[in-house]
Amino acid sequence: MKGRWAAPLLATVLVGLTVAWSTGALGQFLANGPLPPVPVPPDNPQTDAKVRLGAQLYFDTRLSADNTISCATCHDPKAAWANHNPTDTGIRGQVGGRNSGTILDAAYMRVQFWDGRAASLEEQALGPIHNPIEMGETLENVVRKLNAIPGYKTQFNTVFGTDVNTDGIARAIAAFERTVVSGLSPYDRWLAGEKTAMTSAAVRGLGLFNGKGHCSPCHSGPAFSDQGYHNIGVRMDQKNPDLGREAVTKDPRDHGRFKTPGLRNCALTGPYLHTGAEKTLADVIAYYDRGGIANQNLDPLMLPLRLTPREKTDLVAFLEALTGTQPNITPPALPEAGAAQEGGSR
Amino acid sequence: MKTLRLAVLLTLAAATLLALRPGPAGAVPVFARKYGLNCTNCHSGFPRLNDWGQRFRANGYRLPDRENEEKTVLESPPPFALRTSHGYTHERFFRGAEGTNTSGFRVHSLDVLSAGVLAPHVGYLVVYPPQLADWRGVPGQEGTIEMASVVFSGLGSPWLNVRAGRFEPAYAAFSAKRHLTVTPYEIYDHAFPGGSPFSETQEGVEVTGSGSGFAYAAGVVNGSSTNRPDDGPSDAYARAAIVIGAGEGQTAGQRIGVTGYLGRARPLEGPDALQTFSRFGVDASLNLKQVNLAAQWLYGQDQKALWDPELADDVCWSGFFAELSWQPLVECVAFARYDQVNSPTGIEEQDVIRLTGGGRYYFADNLALHLEYSRRTLDTAASDDPTEDLATARLDFGF
Repeated sequence: MKGRWAAPLLATVLVGLTVAWSTGALGQFLANGPLPPVPVPPDNPQTDAKVRLGAQLYFDTRLSADNTISCATCHDPKAAWANHNPTDTGIRGQVGGRNSGTILDAAYMRVQFWDGRAASLEEQALGPIHNPIEMGETLENVVRKLNAIPGYKTQFNTVFGTDVNTDGIARAIAAFERTVVSGLSPYDRWLAGEKTAMTSAAVRGLGLFNGKGHCSPCHSGPAFSDQGYHNIGVRMDQKNPDLGREAVTKDPRDHGRFKTPGLRNCALTGPYLHTGAEKTLADVIAYYDRGGIANQNLDPLMLPLRLTPREKTDLVAFLEALTGTQPNITPPALPEAGAAQEGGSR
Repeated sequence: MKTLRLAVLLTLAAATLLALRPGPAGAVPVFARKYGLNCTNCHSGFPRLNDWGQRFRANGYRLPDRENEEKTVLESPPPFALRTSHGYTHERFFRGAEGTNTSGFRVHSLDVLSAGVLAPHVGYLVVYPPQLADWRGVPGQEGTIEMASVVFSGLGSPWLNVRAGRFEPAYAAFSAKRHLTVTPYEIYDHAFPGGSPFSETQEGVEVTGSGSGFAYAAGVVNGSSTNRPDDGPSDAYARAAIVIGAGEGQTAGQRIGVTGYLGRARPLEGPDALQTFSRFGVDASLNLKQVNLAAQWLYGQDQKALWDPELADDVCWSGFFAELSWQPLVECVAFARYDQVNSPTGIEEQDVIRLTGGGRYYFADNLALHLEYSRRTLDTAASDDPTEDLATARLDFGF
């Protein structure tokens, strides 16, 4: 009597799985697929003129208070759009508290900055300008300075139909940053069927990434980020640690949480973590292998991994296989200052 | 026989699908498929759960701290999976010069699983092993629901989860359903005549909670199958464990636990009244890099009528096992275990010694070659102790 149920039940299961398979549904089970087209907000469509303007602003040190720092200073295309210092130095030699992450593929992140305090690239673009440690300029002063540069004033009128204003600055820089996306990596080519694109070590590393390494629950999605916030314990054993997301939300549950960074091209963007404390990918993996630093808010999925030396090497090989092509962008010629243009401000 | 043929056909079909399946993911069981993860995310030597998997299970089959992103079973891929084990087995039962040998290929098990999240705080798991016919005198599967439970988790805090239905109770520190060996933990299987093995799934309700290196569980279950329908739930238990270091004591962290169980059962023969029995256990799971030592000591005390009304006193017994496993790579794990059950007072020929060794090699993380040898001896005063040898080579896989 009991056995009578076995055949129909098993058949149902098998048919269900086969149907799911044949319709491609299983393809969605991969945690990390290729990058889709860059999402562009409807209120800031991409145009060539806007992107060119954004590129100039991105490389222009005149956006800083003492004309020494540009976006590219900390997000340098020669350093995979990041910077190889643990934390960067802003105006007047001031040292920041967090690592400058790459802007490569930042267009795929729903929120910006380690603590997610900017809801868009547009919002992010203005943040460093008026950050007293980074570029240290007021937005009013930037607008005044740029309006005094005929080349910018003309371009803003062409692109936005207005003189220079903060909204236009933000939109133009964001539009440029949306062109800073990575191209195919060995992993992408491997996914597409080119089975020699990744080394056997990298393929083993992929298995570890999605398994024993416990990487993909957070580093999921095409950009290898779940876009969430997690406390992995970095420097949480020190007095007055960085509050992370809590500083934005004021929610104690966000204590020590930071946004999951994407991993594409990570082999080129060290040092790592929000402190820049880990110099190499091997160091980062060793940190995770230890299970992070215990604290009240440590992510419950942070656990010692018990990785063997070969497994650590394999994971590094896989992460290196995420290195794709980068946009070949050289710093553009910047509009020359007009007669009324002052030097530094303040 | 018809069911067995069906099982074999389905297994072959599943193997074909497995071999042809595109994509890099090494495994697609129910949860792995849902989250795009490999089996090794939750298992260190499938089917043994690692600490991550333990937390996932305790959290009602939801990723801890990511509950708001969980998709329900209706929003997820088909929540079904198959798990099977088949291969070559040689079994030998001998006492002195007399005995039997049984050898051949066999489907050892086939499970149909369904699991997922029903609602924001409610997960479920169903395991159904369909009926498999007896094989050359070796019992097959009964074809009953092995597990069907609903978990209400995170009810206000990680300190309160409620599991109801038929489930694997937390009082058995080491899962008998997800352990490395095919041979059982002897001390968990030891019971008075008609009594349920300690590791058997139970019907009832259980509350669990954990945090800051401490975990507890308590429950009420139906208990012995010898009880009458009007007996109601007759057994209760509690367990507490501490973990030193990061982890759950599965393959990370050092765990020590204690368990108490109090039950009532009706003897198969003799007086009709309910008789009491109790269990007390201490367990430890110690981890050093890729090595795990799992040990359980269990003491039982049963009212004499459960064994034999003619006995002078209640029956007391004890035993332990110690299992050492080493997983040098994610692809392989080796294990060795010693089981001992000391003879219950007044009961002869019940000392059990079992030695087990073997290993598992994972061709993919959901396809394992299992090799195991085990010798079980009933240690008696006679010179011809009955011995049971088992040597098996199996393929285990699930998808």
